[in-house]
Amino acid sequence: MPCIRFSATDMFQVIGGRSVQAARLLAPRSAVVVEAVRGRKSRTDPVAKSKEGRIKVPPSIDPVEMVVLKERYSEYELIMRALRMEFREEVLRKKYEEEMGSQAELRARQEEEEHRALMDWNNQENLRILEARVLRIQQEEEEAERKKMEAAIQREQKQQEFIRQKEEEILKLQEEAKNFVTLENLDQRIEEALDNPKNYNFAIDKEGKVVKRTVLQ
Amino acid sequence: MPMKGRYPIRRTLEYLQKGEIIFKKRVKIMTVNYNTHGELSEGARKFVFFNIPQIQYKNPWVQIMMFKNMTPSPFLKFYLDDGEQVLVDVEGKDYRQISQHVKKILGKSDEVLHAEAQAKMQASHPANFGPKKYCLRECICEVEGQVPCPSTTPLPKEMTGKYRAKMAESQD
Repeated sequence: MPCIRFSATDMFQVIGGRSVQAARLLAPRSAVVVEAVRGRKSRTDPVAKSKEGRIKVPPSIDPVEMVVLKERYSEYELIMRALRMEFREEVLRKKYEEEMGSQAELRARQEEEEHRALMDWNNQENLRILEARVLRIQQEEEEAERKKMEAAIQREQKQQEFIRQKEEEILKLQEEAKNFVTLENLDQRIEEALDNPKNYNFAIDKEGKVVKRTVLQ
Repeated sequence: MPMKGRYPIRRTLEYLQKGEIIFKKRVKIMTVNYNTHGELSEGARKFVFFNIPQIQYKNPWVQIMMFKNMTPSPFLKFYLDDGEQVLVDVEGKDYRQISQHVKKILGKSDEVLHAEAQAKMQASHPANFGPKKYCLRECICEVEGQVPCPSTTPLPKEMTGKYRAKMAESQD
C-alpha cells in the first residue's frame, strides 16, 4: 500500500517526509523536499545488542483490501487533482481577465483621460506661476534700474557738493590772502604791530563777567 | 539619547504612516530641484524636509533625488514609465499646497485606495488556519479561551485518545 502523504493545499508547499521517495513522487516539481533525519548512529556503528537477530518484516498485505484501497485512492487522487487544476485555472483566468479583459481596456482608457485632464490642469498651474514670475522679474529689473539711477544721481550730487566746498575754501583763502604778511608789507606790519600793542589778558569772575582791564603798561 | 536631529518626529513610524501621497504605478522617479537660500524656495525646502520621508516610506520603489542650488527657481519633475516627464513648478508655494498638488495629479485617489484595501481584505479570510505567512492562526490552541496546546500542558486524561479507546474497549 503506498504511503500517501497529501499536502495541505498547493499554496503551502511544505512536505515533511517520512518516506522520502514517496514524498518526492507526489511532490510537484517546484516543492521543497525536507530530508528526514532520524537516528543518532552513523554507518559504521554496530547494531544494538537488543536488535542483534532482528529481521525487519513489513506488515502483511491483504490483496483484497489492497485492490479496494488502490481503487478508492486512485479515484480520490483523480478528484483532488481535478480540483486543484480547476482552482489553478480559475486563478489564471482571473489574472488574464484583469490584465487583458474588456474591462481592462475601458479602465485603461478612463485612466488615460483622467491623466490627460490632470496634466492639463498641472500645465495651467505652471503657466500661472510662470506669468507671476515674469511679472516679478520685470518689477525687480525696474527696481534695479531705479536704484542705479538714484545711485548715479547721488554720486553726481556728492561730486557737486565736494566741488562747491573746495571752491568755498579757495575763496576764503583768497580773502585771507589779503591780510597776509608779505615781504613788501613786512616793514609796514612790524611798524603797525609795534604801534598797537594788543593785550590778550582778561579776568573772569564766578558769575562769568569778563574784565578786560588788567595790569599792563 | 533617544532623539536625533532637528525634528525627530519625522523618524517615527506613526508620522511616516500618516503620509497621504501614494503614487500611481507608472511613476518611477521623482526629482526635486530647490535652493538652500531664498524666500521663493522656502516651500520646497519645507516639502523636502517634512514630506519626502513620508512619500518614500509609502512608495519604497520610487527613486527620489534632490538637487540643490542648480536652478534659480525650484521645481519638481516626475518621470513616468512611458517616458513622459511631468514638470511641477513650486516657486513661492507653501509646502502643504505642493503636497496637495502632487497628490492630485499623480497620487492614487481615496476611492482607489479604499477599493484596494477592500480587495486585499477579501483575498485574506481571517477564519482560515494555516502558516503564519498566509493566515492569522495555525492552530485553535493559539486562540484565547480554547484548550491549550498539548505540547505545553498535558491534556486531562479524559481527553486523550488512548484513554477513550481503553474506555470504549472495556465497555464493549
